[in-house]
Amino acid sequence: MLEIRNLEVVYQGVIQALADLSVTIPEGAIVALLGANGAGKTTTLKAISGFLPLEGGRITSGSIRIGGQDIAKLAPHQIVRRGVFHVREGRHIFGDMTVEENLIAATFAQRHKRSRKDAFDEVYSYFPILSTRRNQQAGYLSGGEQQMLAIGRALVADPSMILLDEPSLGLAPLIVNEIFEIISRINREKKVSILLVEQNAVIALKYASYGYVVESGRTVLEGTSQELNSNEDIQKFYLGVDAAEAA
Amino acid sequence: MSPVQLFLEYSIVGIASGGIYALIALGIIVIYKSSRTFNFAMGEMMMLSAYFFYAAAVTFALGPVLGVIVALICSIVIALVIERVAIRPMLGRPFISVVMVTFGVGSIIRGVVGMVWGPSDLQIPAILSRSPVMLGDIFVPGKTARGFAIAVVIVVALIAYLRYSRAGVALRATAASAITAYSMGINVRNVIAFAWVIAAVTGCISGILMANINSLTPHLGLVALNVLAVVILGGMGSISGVLVAGFIIGWLEAITGLFLPTGFREITPYILALIILLVRPNGLFGSKEVERI
Repeated sequence: MLEIRNLEVVYQGVIQALADLSVTIPEGAIVALLGANGAGKTTTLKAISGFLPLEGGRITSGSIRIGGQDIAKLAPHQIVRRGVFHVREGRHIFGDMTVEENLIAATFAQRHKRSRKDAFDEVYSYFPILSTRRNQQAGYLSGGEQQMLAIGRALVADPSMILLDEPSLGLAPLIVNEIFEIISRINREKKVSILLVEQNAVIALKYASYGYVVESGRTVLEGTSQELNSNEDIQKFYLGVDAAEAA
Repeated sequence: MSPVQLFLEYSIVGIASGGIYALIALGIIVIYKSSRTFNFAMGEMMMLSAYFFYAAAVTFALGPVLGVIVALICSIVIALVIERVAIRPMLGRPFISVVMVTFGVGSIIRGVVGMVWGPSDLQIPAILSRSPVMLGDIFVPGKTARGFAIAVVIVVALIAYLRYSRAGVALRATAASAITAYSMGINVRNVIAFAWVIAAVTGCISGILMANINSLTPHLGLVALNVLAVVILGGMGSISGVLVAGFIIGWLEAITGLFLPTGFREITPYILALIILLVRPNGLFGSKEVERI
């Protein structure tokens, strides 16, 4: 379980990115963070995975705990080795390496020793297309395949939680559905909890069981997906449903 | 000797010295890949390693084999100290600041070596046999030929290691993006330290080879500046490009020496570096990033 309490984050000593953010991700759940651009969703993920110091950001108050243990002071490679894997927005695959070398890179994140074959076979069982492309340069994969590879790298690490930032970005609706079905399978079959940041609120609330709305660095609203789906403000601002039309 | 034979002989000697250039260039490129740091102290690290060899093999009379091992160990320790004390605190600073720090480190090494061993030439025990190697009718000086063989074997071994090992993947991942490498659980600081260790090894071997072929002086490291052209020609990002680039630069130097007065030989690498930067800034093998959004 991951618990974020009253998190405040400041960039370059002056720019406040998070003001008061509290989020709980129970074991095995899919939780969505909704909110406009610049609300602080990605900053939240970076705070968890320890990337802030690399980008001039700092946690000024609040806490982030995994199973009761504070991880705010850990370096990024230590956090991922504790089982929290961040799949960043824009996928960030290693374009001039092969698909398989991308997976090899992720073996550094493994908590438990596992044979390369077992780990990669599991990735290929969720994403068979990657298996046929394993020796190709990853930069030439399609956008959807790159997203699959980015999630595949997370699978290699065998994490307890995946932080998933905008997996649908720039992908065709059919591919988005395919990828979300696989994410949902990974969640069910491997009991991996997922913190999902997604512009596409319709699909986020379809797969998440619980959601938070972030505005100007604060969590302003939370609820189960059904509650959020039927909330008028959510419908108006995030789901693109006109309230009058819905009524 | 016929002109053709003379040309061939110069070519072969030139390409042979290019092997050592490739070895030095590899050390520079590995550090560059790990942290975008251009290490101008590479020449001084080479030179210092050769003095370590001298101290171990001659002063402490350990003989050449133990001498090489001691020199390797000392070089690695020094490289790790440089990385930890001078380079790591500079992480994230502008490129030029870090480069100036490496210049500073180089000056310190030169100063210390001058104080300890003095400015004059020292004779080191020959590890390379002098007996010439004959390629058909062509005469290749023994030290150059053997130095070439050792350098190329090490370069090829390191290229293969960085191509196929897990550590090589970590290095390339770090080169592509430090943040993404971190997110894969790769300890980027260790990768950078590892790159300095590789540079220490290539610097040490090339330093000892150079001291064998020429002689041991505090100016031994100046050759690393010629290697700048190798690095630029191969493309900063390209590990496997160094070998071909080293051969080309070594060959061009030798051929210039054959046809033009000696002065030109000295400036050939720099002229070439300038031309490459103007015509093909990514070098022969450095490719543009493959990226799709």
